[in-house]
Amino acid sequence: MGSDLDRQIEMLKACKPLPEADVKTLCMKAREILIEEGNVQCIDAPVTICGDIHGQFWDMLELFKTAGDCPQTSYLFMGDFVDRGYFSVETFLLLLAMKVRWPDRVCLIRGNHESRQITQVYGFYDECTRKYGSPTVWRYCTDVFDYLSLGAIIDGRVFCVHGGLSPALPSLDMIRGLERRVEVPHEGPMCDLLWSDPDEINGWGLSPRGAGFLFGAEPTKAFLHNNSLDLISRAHQLAMEGYKLMFERMIVTVWSAPNYCYRCGNVAAVLELDEHLGQEYKVFEHAPMDVRSIPARRPPAEYFL
Amino acid sequence: MRPHTIPNSPFPRSFNESTHASSDPDAPTRATDGDASLARLSAVRKGYLNDDFAALFVPRAHLQPNRAPLINIGTWVRTIAIDRLVDQWLLRCEDQGVQAQIVSLGAGSDSRFWKLMAGSHASTLAKYVEVDFSEITGKKAMTIRKDRTLNGYLGPDTSPQLDNLSAGGGTGISSSVYNLVPADIRCPPDEALSALFTPDTPILSKTVPTLLLFECVLAYMPPSDSEALLAWFAAQFTDSAPLGAVVYEMFGLEDSFGKMMISNLKSRGVSLPGVVPYKDQASLPNRFTKTGFSRSQAWTLKDIRKEYIEAEEHERVSTLELVDEIEEIDLVLSHYAITSGILVPQGLERWFAWDLPKLQQGQV
Repeated sequence: MGSDLDRQIEMLKACKPLPEADVKTLCMKAREILIEEGNVQCIDAPVTICGDIHGQFWDMLELFKTAGDCPQTSYLFMGDFVDRGYFSVETFLLLLAMKVRWPDRVCLIRGNHESRQITQVYGFYDECTRKYGSPTVWRYCTDVFDYLSLGAIIDGRVFCVHGGLSPALPSLDMIRGLERRVEVPHEGPMCDLLWSDPDEINGWGLSPRGAGFLFGAEPTKAFLHNNSLDLISRAHQLAMEGYKLMFERMIVTVWSAPNYCYRCGNVAAVLELDEHLGQEYKVFEHAPMDVRSIPARRPPAEYFL
Repeated sequence: MRPHTIPNSPFPRSFNESTHASSDPDAPTRATDGDASLARLSAVRKGYLNDDFAALFVPRAHLQPNRAPLINIGTWVRTIAIDRLVDQWLLRCEDQGVQAQIVSLGAGSDSRFWKLMAGSHASTLAKYVEVDFSEITGKKAMTIRKDRTLNGYLGPDTSPQLDNLSAGGGTGISSSVYNLVPADIRCPPDEALSALFTPDTPILSKTVPTLLLFECVLAYMPPSDSEALLAWFAAQFTDSAPLGAVVYEMFGLEDSFGKMMISNLKSRGVSLPGVVPYKDQASLPNRFTKTGFSRSQAWTLKDIRKEYIEAEEHERVSTLELVDEIEEIDLVLSHYAITSGILVPQGLERWFAWDLPKLQQGQV
């Protein structure tokens, strides 16, 4: 099986989607591993933390070039593997195969796009049905989504989550107590973790996204203090420079999709935490936009013309 | 006369291999009209906008997919803002008891004339003139002629039918209110737009308050050509009647987003020479102040969305579809602006109050 998996990883690294039967087996194995993990997965430093990928497969290979190959480099991906880009299938399956191959060197946590509803709007569902002729692979993948952790904690000091905080979850223990194996709800504590954003406001505010909350420096400081943390690392929001520190470095946004949607012109970054939790941000650019990285028959980036 | 190289399909370039091979360098620019009309149709179908006429200008409208939420939202903001500037112009005319003329340059498949004629300001419109490449006006003329609804709003026909058919090949329409004029607006206006002010049968009067609309048009032209065009209009109306103008297009493309836009559009054969002088919002009014207009102001679409649209409308729109591109919307909308310019004869300074109406306090 190990050699099967290695072969699949090689195939996926060449951006070739796996046969449907292989996807089924891979997803079953992944579920067996993920079900054993906590809502807040405990991880040891050193580790490389990555933000949104959004199906930008060739850009993810740039990420690996920048931060090193797995398993030599230990990775934490903070969700939003799929949607928007042209290669969500290959992107998610490669990450999943890596997880199954090196379960202790890869951590995948859930983003708001790892959801049945969102993937039907933003591309993953369409991509699956286009590439496989039916939604079966989409079903296998979205079933795996339900098993993904909601967060991770590195050496007890750095909390990682896709979106941010929830007013209903003042402590890590309360996050640990959630029933996570469900479709992402439209509201409530689990939804907040995947949808909220930090913002320069006092306390809590309504989110323009229609889900989750905005949270200011005070709730952030309180959460860090109450849970003996140094830093919150999250993704979810485009950062033109690849990362963005806020609230006197209490929270950082890490963004790993360069030239997001093949339109934004941004650079991307990963956060490398060394064994002393020292932070190094490694910035990288998008892969060359050639025949390989952009399918021939695809809608071009849209503008108002 | 340029040959009909434009395909009937409004699909963007990459779907039309044949047009890539076209030797006509303007074909990609003309094809941007398809993007605009598809975006309008999508925003209408999704409930952002009301426009009974949008679908009539899109071939095989029922087969066209909707656009991404970001495109729908931008189309909605742009349409609201331009509609309001047009409404304010017409209201101002009504206050003075005069009629108005509107000239839409590079009008493409725009449906604004029909929306206005179906609305409460119809009788205020003395003339509505649309100008575009003959390839576009020819197609539009045929669409209008074939559609009873569109045709019904034109007003009595004033075109010398036979002459028009033989000379222009049916690429224009002349009616008492609506006029469709084929012209390349990059050419010297005295020749290209001579039909507007011919001594015998001018389409436009120089004594009627006139509003010019440029929706994603000047960006595709060399700045010297668009300056000549604006200066020419300003010269026609100096000391005779208020002249307003509204320009909507991208600007500030020297940052990384802008460079990517230029490169993405280049790959479909579209270049943006007209954007070069406008590096930031503060530079936008120069377009008017250097061409004889007396005042100008500019708003980004990002600011219009945040500061000029009522809370109830935001609330209504927030229920239409799921939107996750919050930062991306701001990024894209901050690279588009609406710029207004106005020139008024002495004694008519009250026209300077023509403006994008601000929200009353508490409306945000």
